[in-house]
Amino acid sequence: MPEAEAIRLAQQGDAGAFERLYQLHNRRVYSLCLRMVSNTAEAEDLTQEAFLQLFRKIATFRGESAFSTWLHRLAVNVVLMKLRRKSGTETSLEQVTEPDEESGSPRRDFGGPDIRLSGSIDRVNLQRAVDQLPPGYKAVFVLHDVQGYEHNEIAEIMGCSIGNSKSQLHKARMRLRGLLHEAVREKAREERKAAGTSSGGED
Amino acid sequence: MSTMNCTDFLNHIDEWIEGQEVPGARDHSRTCAQCRGLAEDLGTIRLAAVTLPEADADPSPHIWTAVRSQLEQEGLIRNGVALQLPHRAGWFDSIFSFVPRPAFAAAYVGALVIAGFVLSGPVHMPTDQDRWRERTQRTSAELNAQLEAAEKTAMASLTTFSPDVTADLRQNLSIVDNDIALCEKSVQESPESEIARDYLYNAYQQKANLLAQISERGEGR
Repeated sequence: MPEAEAIRLAQQGDAGAFERLYQLHNRRVYSLCLRMVSNTAEAEDLTQEAFLQLFRKIATFRGESAFSTWLHRLAVNVVLMKLRRKSGTETSLEQVTEPDEESGSPRRDFGGPDIRLSGSIDRVNLQRAVDQLPPGYKAVFVLHDVQGYEHNEIAEIMGCSIGNSKSQLHKARMRLRGLLHEAVREKAREERKAAGTSSGGED
Repeated sequence: MSTMNCTDFLNHIDEWIEGQEVPGARDHSRTCAQCRGLAEDLGTIRLAAVTLPEADADPSPHIWTAVRSQLEQEGLIRNGVALQLPHRAGWFDSIFSFVPRPAFAAAYVGALVIAGFVLSGPVHMPTDQDRWRERTQRTSAELNAQLEAAEKTAMASLTTFSPDVTADLRQNLSIVDNDIALCEKSVQESPESEIARDYLYNAYQQKANLLAQISERGEGR
């Protein structure tokens, strides 16, 4: 069943159409949630909540944007709401994306010139660094660099401007670079310490 | 000679690492080690990001079960036909694949939907072995009673089939019953295991489908 047909039938409450839409999009939504919260149980709960909201609102979908964009907007909002509740603060989406840095041009922060990340990062330490990003940066980074959305789509999903999306992505990448550099330095320190302990023990 | 300075390069670095043409960027990166290092790092992050979802497992099938149960409770789903969970390919799937979903199945729908919901529970219910065991035993007993009644009806229709077909169907039922027994045992041993409950639910669903299809074919003869 093509997606457009599934949407039409789901708007009439057809059970098979709901399932078809779920099958078409569940992996991508789950992946987004998992990247955002780094916890499979939470990601599954968020995926469930996103689809429930989708199906409750599907009658209002008019096709002005792509269905997947609409669904991702719901999913991102569900995740951001969850993260806000978790942090115990009532913050707006703008605050989540750190608007006070919006107007400025990219930070002139080149980081340590002595370390290169090439060959020293893997999925695990990249995800660890992503976990430390502010939610807004994280969402834009995951949507663009992990899931491959374009800035105009992210702007629709996040409810922001294209320029804002580009700016958030730049800051996310720069922040990740700093975090990954720190992780590499930390690892080097530990290795030196272990080597020192080891040679000291032999003396 | 590079006409771009570091500030200009930094302003366009994202386009540059994404492969867009940025006049002067290549020349600048050749002459400025700091900017070149930054571009290399951001490119490395970008490439690593693409690989992040590769290790992701599929989301649990219980998500759909829970979503569907909730939608049914809220009355958003129109026709409550039997749940179609992603499940192991049943050996009988192909045998009766040509038979339309029988009206007969409606008799089991309520029980299956309830069983599906009870066996799945909230996606992440706190693990409590005794609570799960009690829920599962109660649901299994109710469902087994309904399936037993359905089996009697289906068996009565077997007389309309040829001896060979009857023997095959009896054997298939026996296989499903064994499957259910094994799954029930697994659930008793690990009542908190989502996978064990999922398999048990699928086994019940397989038997309900098989009985419904036997009856449907018997009535159609």
